[in-house]
Amino acid sequence: MKKTGKKTFFIVVAFIAIFAVTSVLGIDKLYGDNRTTYVKGVDDIRLGIDIKGGVDVTFGPAGDFDADEAQLDSATEVIKTRLSSLGITDNEVYSDTKSDRIIVRFPWKVGESNFDPESAVKELGEMAELTFRKGTDTTTDAEGNTVPSGEIVLTGDDIASAKSQYLPTDDGKDLEYVVSLELKSDGENSGKEKFAAATAELMGTETPISIWMDNTMISAPRVNSTITDGKAQISGSFDADSSKKLADQINSGALPFKMETKSFRTISPTMGEGSLDAILLAALIAFVGIAVYMIFLYRLPGFVAVIALCGQVAGSIAAITGWFGFMNGSTLTIPGIAGIILAVGMGVDANIITGERIKEELRTGKSLDAAIKIAYKRAFSAILDGNITNVIIAVILMGAFGVPDSFFSKILNKTIFFAFGATAEGVVYSFGFTLLAGVICNFIFGVFASRLMVTSLSKFKCFKNRKLYGGDTK
Amino acid sequence: MSKKDTQKEVVLTPKKVYNFCSKKKLILGVVIGVLLVFIAGAVIQGIHLAIEFKGGTLITYTYQGEINTNDVASTVKDIVGSTVVVRTGESLDSGGKQVTISFTSDQGLTVDRQTELTTALRDKFTENELEIYDSNDVNPASGREFLLKCLVAVIFAAIVVIIYIAIRFRNIGGWSAGVCSIFALCLDLLVAFATTVVCGFNIDSNIVAVFLTILGYSINNTIVIYDRIRENRKLMPKASLNELINVSCTQSLTRSIRTSITTIGTMLIVTIVVMVTGYDSLLSFSVPLMMGLISGTFSSLFVAPVTWSWWMNKRAAKGKSSK
Repeated sequence: MKKTGKKTFFIVVAFIAIFAVTSVLGIDKLYGDNRTTYVKGVDDIRLGIDIKGGVDVTFGPAGDFDADEAQLDSATEVIKTRLSSLGITDNEVYSDTKSDRIIVRFPWKVGESNFDPESAVKELGEMAELTFRKGTDTTTDAEGNTVPSGEIVLTGDDIASAKSQYLPTDDGKDLEYVVSLELKSDGENSGKEKFAAATAELMGTETPISIWMDNTMISAPRVNSTITDGKAQISGSFDADSSKKLADQINSGALPFKMETKSFRTISPTMGEGSLDAILLAALIAFVGIAVYMIFLYRLPGFVAVIALCGQVAGSIAAITGWFGFMNGSTLTIPGIAGIILAVGMGVDANIITGERIKEELRTGKSLDAAIKIAYKRAFSAILDGNITNVIIAVILMGAFGVPDSFFSKILNKTIFFAFGATAEGVVYSFGFTLLAGVICNFIFGVFASRLMVTSLSKFKCFKNRKLYGGDTK
Repeated sequence: MSKKDTQKEVVLTPKKVYNFCSKKKLILGVVIGVLLVFIAGAVIQGIHLAIEFKGGTLITYTYQGEINTNDVASTVKDIVGSTVVVRTGESLDSGGKQVTISFTSDQGLTVDRQTELTTALRDKFTENELEIYDSNDVNPASGREFLLKCLVAVIFAAIVVIIYIAIRFRNIGGWSAGVCSIFALCLDLLVAFATTVVCGFNIDSNIVAVFLTILGYSINNTIVIYDRIRENRKLMPKASLNELINVSCTQSLTRSIRTSITTIGTMLIVTIVVMVTGYDSLLSFSVPLMMGLISGTFSSLFVAPVTWSWWMNKRAAKGKSSK
């Protein structure tokens, strides 16, 4: 390993300090009234409905439609999945079979003044149904709306999966966003077969296949060849967001009936207004308590542990705000806070294990350098195994309760959880997410950074005293 | 260089080695005690499932002026008998203030019951001009599936953890160690569940968070002890299993207690702050978690290693007698 010099300590501390400050405060710039956020800070955290309250929406079938229990259940599942696709991992969904109502509660998006609950509600419940039809004929229904009347070739149910892609246009000159569809290919009357039959019939004719979201036509391409491979593309005037949104909607499944909003109101948090302040106050007291305790017990390594813990807490915050560009932020809920507590607890534990080890090794009469080196080495196997088991738990929970489209969910839902629908439960996902992030931070700060700092400090002459490490004076 | 170090290593056994392995009766006593407390709590207090797991009723009233949600909750509780959650809000389509009352009920709410409730509330809150806005009976189907899925997820996680321990601790007989760590975990979960029941808290999604936290914490605790046993096995190849466990547990004792002080202390602070500030709904999270953590400390030092030594000794005895 590279030599750890005196400077290392200051470099590590500077890194942690920068990381902590940016993850708490965020980085943004004000140009007049426009705030551009580069790095999200604490203000941008979306708080769960249990902490902050949110919106309560009641959906019901449009018109006189009488939904049976199975339809209502499947509609409930679709809504839950859509909530997760929208990044609203924290929600409460109830269904009432007597009056055919689905009640959805989800939190406000905090810190974003342009969060529009009405459009979120629209995306959830009043989602249009996707149809592929022969021709572009329309008629006018009883309410005077223009509705498509062409023979239906495919519906959302015929589609196995959809994804947003950025592909060259037909003439190859330009790139455009499209939604690529994989049609279901099981059985004789599958989407793949139906599509092949329709394209064979219409090939070369003037009649296009039109693609509709409810009563809006997205595109109406001519059929130039028979498509038998079960693949189709929807192109139109998509941008990155709208193509992803459509793909998400198709993936989460079609609603079994058309829904409308019956009522729409705000709702106060389950935990009571201001419960967050109570939690923060408790967290602050606990953190100060732990800091004093660690420094008192382990002196120099204890002091280093406190710096490392600051980094770890900042890491947890960063994971929730979405500081790391490659991952989305999450919603902070009570279970999410539990995940942070567990991860920070494990971080404290890692430091205590190492601190105890340094003391022990010093007592066997080793030199300071050797004792520190061996202590970190020996302590690592326990820390590694303990943390890896938590990674296992976190990953399984995220897979079981995450958005069905994610990697772990795909594997787990087809094997272990085959008996269950691919439900996304935000609260458990939130726990797994903060735990996983915390455990990763534990390796970075609790093990790696703290070893660098202690080793570096031990190079200073004034810190050579064995007493500072809990050893005896010999 | 590490190999050299271990060869000339002086094994520094603690001056006083506590005899953990002789505490079989203590463990049995604790397990039985927890079970008894749990059963007594379940009989006396009953098990309160929250609305998402049991089903129940949501009623929304519009109101004028200011309303005290705690008073509303206690009035409703007197009539329906089960725990009541009251939340206020504002209608976004028609405007106006609304109060939503949710409570569990077995057969849904009859018209008579609802009228009774409305009359009682109107009598009590005459100034608020309560008008019924909406009433829904919600079914627990999705909540129950959620609980079941949680259970499957936790069992699956436990199996994967056993496999992981079996591989990583194969030189000290990993499979049995893995199973014993899960046994210790079950005790911790039982303690947390018993606490919830005895205190009369609602079984809501907070309990899921508590269980998951204990799951992670308890296994970590046990693994730290196992790790010490694994290391000492190399350093003291001649020692008997019980000696090994006793030495390892004694060596880990300081760490176990010190870590527990920080975690349990944190939950104690949360509990105190919550009680002082009056956000009692958080108690159903912090108190069971605190009890589970206390149990986790005990079970990692006693239950897991001792049941494991009992298992291994039994197996050794069986192996001898069959020869």
